[in-house]
Amino acid sequence: MKKLFLTILALALIPVGTQAQEITLKGKELFGDMKARHIGPALMSGRINDLELHPTNSRIMYAGTAGGGVWKSSDGGATYAPIFDDHVQSIGVVTLDPNNPDQVIWVGTGETWTRNSVSVGDGLYRSTDGGGTWKEIPGFEDSERIASVVINPDNSDIVYVGVLGALWSDSEDRGVYKTTDGGKTWNKILYVNPSTGAGDVLMDPKNPNTLYVSMWEFRRSGWGFNSGGENSAIYKSTDAGKTWNKIHNGFPEGKLGRIGLAVAPSDANRLYAVLETEDKTKNGLWVSKDAGSSWEHLNNDFGLVVRPFYFSRITVDPRNPDIILKGGLSGSISRDGGKTFKNLGNMHSDIHDIVFHINDSDIIYSGTDGGVYRSWNGGTTFEIVENLPLSQFYHISTDNAEPYNVYGGLQDNGSWWGPSSSPGGVEARDWNSVGAGDGFRVLKHPTKNIIYSEMQGAENVWRYDVDKNRTKTIQPLPKKGDAELRFNWNAPMAVSAHVPDRFYMGSQFVHKSDDMGDTWTIISPDLTTNDPNKQDQSKSGGLSVDNSGAENHTTIFTIAESPLDQNVLWVGTDDGNVQVTQDGGKNWNNVTPNLVGIPANTWVYHIEASVHGKGTAYAVFEGHTTGDMKPYALKTTDFGKTWKNIISDDIDAKAFVRNIQEDYENEDLLFLGTEFGLYVTVDGGENWSHFTNNMPPVAVHFIDMQKETNDIVMGTHGRGVIIIDDISPLREVNQNILSKDVHFFETEPVTMVEQGGFSGNFGAETQFVGNNKPTSARIIYYLKKRHTFGKMTMEIQDMEGNTLTKLSPGKSKGINVVTWGFNTTNPKMAAAKTLSFGGFTSPRVPEGKYKVVLTKGKDTYEHIIETKYDDTAITTAADRKNQEKMTQTMFDMVEDLAYVVYEIGEMQTKAQDVIDNNPKGEKVAQNLYDALEDLRTDLVVTTGDNYVASAEPELRERMGELYANIAGSYDRVTGAQMQNYELIKEEFEAEKKRFAEIKNKEGKKFMKFLEKNEMELEVESKEEFLSDK
Amino acid sequence: MKPLKLLLLALVVICFTNLTSAQTADEIIDSYFENTGGKENWNKLDALKFTGNLDYGTMKLPVTMIQTKEGLTLISADIQGQPYYQTVYDGETLWSTNQMTMEAEKSDAEATANYKLAIQDFPDPFLNYKDKGYAVELMGSETIDGTETFKIKLEKKPKMINGKEEANVEYYYFEKENFVPILIEKDVKIGPDAGTIGQSKLSNYQEVEGIYFPFSIIDGTKAQPGGQAITITNIELNPKIDTTLFAFPEKK
Repeated sequence: MKKLFLTILALALIPVGTQAQEITLKGKELFGDMKARHIGPALMSGRINDLELHPTNSRIMYAGTAGGGVWKSSDGGATYAPIFDDHVQSIGVVTLDPNNPDQVIWVGTGETWTRNSVSVGDGLYRSTDGGGTWKEIPGFEDSERIASVVINPDNSDIVYVGVLGALWSDSEDRGVYKTTDGGKTWNKILYVNPSTGAGDVLMDPKNPNTLYVSMWEFRRSGWGFNSGGENSAIYKSTDAGKTWNKIHNGFPEGKLGRIGLAVAPSDANRLYAVLETEDKTKNGLWVSKDAGSSWEHLNNDFGLVVRPFYFSRITVDPRNPDIILKGGLSGSISRDGGKTFKNLGNMHSDIHDIVFHINDSDIIYSGTDGGVYRSWNGGTTFEIVENLPLSQFYHISTDNAEPYNVYGGLQDNGSWWGPSSSPGGVEARDWNSVGAGDGFRVLKHPTKNIIYSEMQGAENVWRYDVDKNRTKTIQPLPKKGDAELRFNWNAPMAVSAHVPDRFYMGSQFVHKSDDMGDTWTIISPDLTTNDPNKQDQSKSGGLSVDNSGAENHTTIFTIAESPLDQNVLWVGTDDGNVQVTQDGGKNWNNVTPNLVGIPANTWVYHIEASVHGKGTAYAVFEGHTTGDMKPYALKTTDFGKTWKNIISDDIDAKAFVRNIQEDYENEDLLFLGTEFGLYVTVDGGENWSHFTNNMPPVAVHFIDMQKETNDIVMGTHGRGVIIIDDISPLREVNQNILSKDVHFFETEPVTMVEQGGFSGNFGAETQFVGNNKPTSARIIYYLKKRHTFGKMTMEIQDMEGNTLTKLSPGKSKGINVVTWGFNTTNPKMAAAKTLSFGGFTSPRVPEGKYKVVLTKGKDTYEHIIETKYDDTAITTAADRKNQEKMTQTMFDMVEDLAYVVYEIGEMQTKAQDVIDNNPKGEKVAQNLYDALEDLRTDLVVTTGDNYVASAEPELRERMGELYANIAGSYDRVTGAQMQNYELIKEEFEAEKKRFAEIKNKEGKKFMKFLEKNEMELEVESKEEFLSDK
Repeated sequence: MKPLKLLLLALVVICFTNLTSAQTADEIIDSYFENTGGKENWNKLDALKFTGNLDYGTMKLPVTMIQTKEGLTLISADIQGQPYYQTVYDGETLWSTNQMTMEAEKSDAEATANYKLAIQDFPDPFLNYKDKGYAVELMGSETIDGTETFKIKLEKKPKMINGKEEANVEYYYFEKENFVPILIEKDVKIGPDAGTIGQSKLSNYQEVEGIYFPFSIIDGTKAQPGGQAITITNIELNPKIDTTLFAFPEKK
């Protein structure tokens, strides 16, 4: 240690330049304890990719989700908690080490059911401590999608990884990889070509050297999908992956598509495969009873052939090789070895993985597009897991209600709106449905209680009148002479900030309506490239046609009206065009050639028209559907004539960008929604910080900033709606502030919200409940350094410096947020046998200015905050003053009583002491004791308990209750309360008089005795008594 | 803390990278004890008594916590003049106050057995951890409360949870600048928060007779940090203990 010290000293003596250095804080160092909150919803949950059960402990199970990370259940699937929130949230596979399933968990990232809207992964991870800590296994950074991890049960160092690989481009990071040293080194042991990846990798249950692999040739583009080719195949190895042979004996000739593969755990010779072939009659389920030497076709019912790219999962009962589950639109089960199937019971459609309980095949867990389901009766009835907030938003918006509502559309789960805060937290029942099918954009009419929503490809656009509960279908329809309209799967809509009834939609044209969608005018030419090569979706899908509309291309994707000028409209298309009009659509300027650093035809995902200048706008681009994952964001201040790149190296090189939100006050404060979470800049894009405080790196599809609250509201594709409350402190962050030890951020006068309702929370035990926005005052300050050593305290004082209450200050480096609920301290209650619940209420402060005093070591920092009454108050100023006065009167009375009871107690203790130790004084002491005890039993409860054996309330209890009712009310003090007050006051006066009489009579004699015997009665003064509450 | 160590702390920041690259879990733990009074002093502790306040809504409840090397423990709060005992162990029985009757009730057998396992944590689980049969592992670095920390896994003897044996793991995050833990995390296994990650944030380290203790502890969960604050106002080292305080009061 000494040596080390000397070295340090030597280093310290090296001269250091004295010039001030710029402080750039990134990520957690800047955001400190500023945290995101999650409001779900979980009622429709989200897509599940993979389920994994602990092999011996039936309480433990995992869900690998499409866009929301890895979740673990420790209670047999009743509830789940996230365990992978620091890493990419798109999960392909979760595998437990059979030799150490409590500790060793492998996670392959990148979802594998390759629909158009899938997220991407970034490699392979392992935890060796049950999910507490994760380490990335090098070598799989470019794998994009990992479908299988298989571990040799005889030797955990031998692991096989099946990499499906890139969806939108060629890649050599595909196939089967093997390690024999626990993941230090890897060999690619099966590789076919850059477009063919590994799906299921299986190990023979009896012989770990025998392996089966399904390979799949596939490719997606922005405008089409292909499943199948000459290279899709099933391979078998009997020498632990050294050599591989195709096992197709019995299969039809020609191309194969995606193959689902399973081996029966109870019969190693029994293999099942689901095939996609060129011969429709040979599609579906095949069986081999000789470990793959030959195959027999069993079944091509709808449930077995439906959408192979999405549903190729078969699971064999671990105890019976004839019982098979198949994922699908509804999911199916066979109990005769695959000859016949029936549909599983009702649950959310689109079943991607399905597993049997480890001990009881009646219990089945199913992973769907709408979360995890459980069945207790062999698959007939299913119930949903209610605490998986995995909702996958494509888009969100907010309104100006208080609290504001969040609107949004979800992958395969319709459109919804719900409150950003709700009594008891945001629960499933708080959300309202406002659209069917896949949901996308949902917008509130600016002034009327009307909501616009849509389903895929604008097949329906709805105008919903909330008050009248009426829905009208209003999508633009072609009229005579119009070209066929091309709407994106996620078709753009916009409302006007200038003309409330104005509503825009985009096909290849911009459609404008000034009567809320009843009539439409096309106000643009085709603004896309109109490339016919990208317009034939009827053949999309490959071996199985899959023309859902999801691949519609050469369409408008974003429309932005300038908040400063209704005639300025920006349009971005999915094929790379940025177009702007400055005259309400008469003339359009294609500014695409002016873009800098953006590859041609890169999807324009969002344009944000700025409030800081008519010609100012931000555009974000993403090329992931061509395999280009780079982040792109540009800014223009001259209507698109010139553009500036605002992306820095701080952003992950593969974090492609879908959205940007500007701050309405500070032009340099921007929020970027990327595939890997949220980034924030406070300097116009020179430096970006990844926001990771309770914010997983989930795909952020849309960001809105709620103007009244300055909240950043994010629609994520896998973790629902995530909110960062009041980002206004970030507006102030500058070098001056960062160089200070402590800096308090300014806050607006804060309303003391006057609301009090009920929130019966039955059922919430197993439900997700979203956190509310605190209605308390937020005290926000910056600390240059985390406070660890020495005392740091915070208190609220009135302007005269009297302490009203003490708070627990945050001590993080960076920004800290402390809340204060406008309360002072509770009254000190008289001691009794049971609790007086009235004493749990503390008075609220009147509106006005208050000092926040932060003491840190020897230094004191002060900051003034201001509170104001709620505009929605139901009381008058005079009545409020009276309520505050009565609260104080009752507060003082409650404490007066506490002191009386304390005095009685002290006198009784002394009397008891005399009774016990001084026979001469026994009588005098006993008389006093008894008189006091008579009095005490009338003042406070001295028997019973806090539940049904409670005693009749005495003066303390009645006084406490009246105090709490007056103090806790937002209304005037009622006549009944005033009458009750008179009664209690009178009673208390009488009891005080009684006490004085006892003191004067029995007390005097007792005091005389004490004096004579040189004894003393020590009683604290009232101030002393009250000071230690 | 002696002046030398204060200087050391100030300087550690300067060549921080050099230092951190060579750290092992044992070195970090050694530095922790070195910076908080030295193992010798820590080993002299037979009992600790903490007094302070617990935030309970808008109330501040006076709390007392006593722990001894032998395992006697007592946590009590004063609510409206009534003592409320949360965790009391008298050498045999673990008990607490029932909030309905305000009378003492025994904790269940599993909680008692698990408590007995934790007795040897006193006065600090890392002190002589090998002798206790504990294992430590440096899991890496993490930014906690905006500052860089070492994440150390502490694995104690397995506990029984609802009839099944489970690993007993806690994570301590030691601030790199000064080697004291500022955060403890563990899986919550029982109660309404089961399945979540419990967090205790430590700060306001202050010296008491040569040893440094955190005087501020804020408990919460990872998803909802900052639930409940305990502010310590006084710590007595090796106080005189009235063992009758711990005895389970038989029902009258």
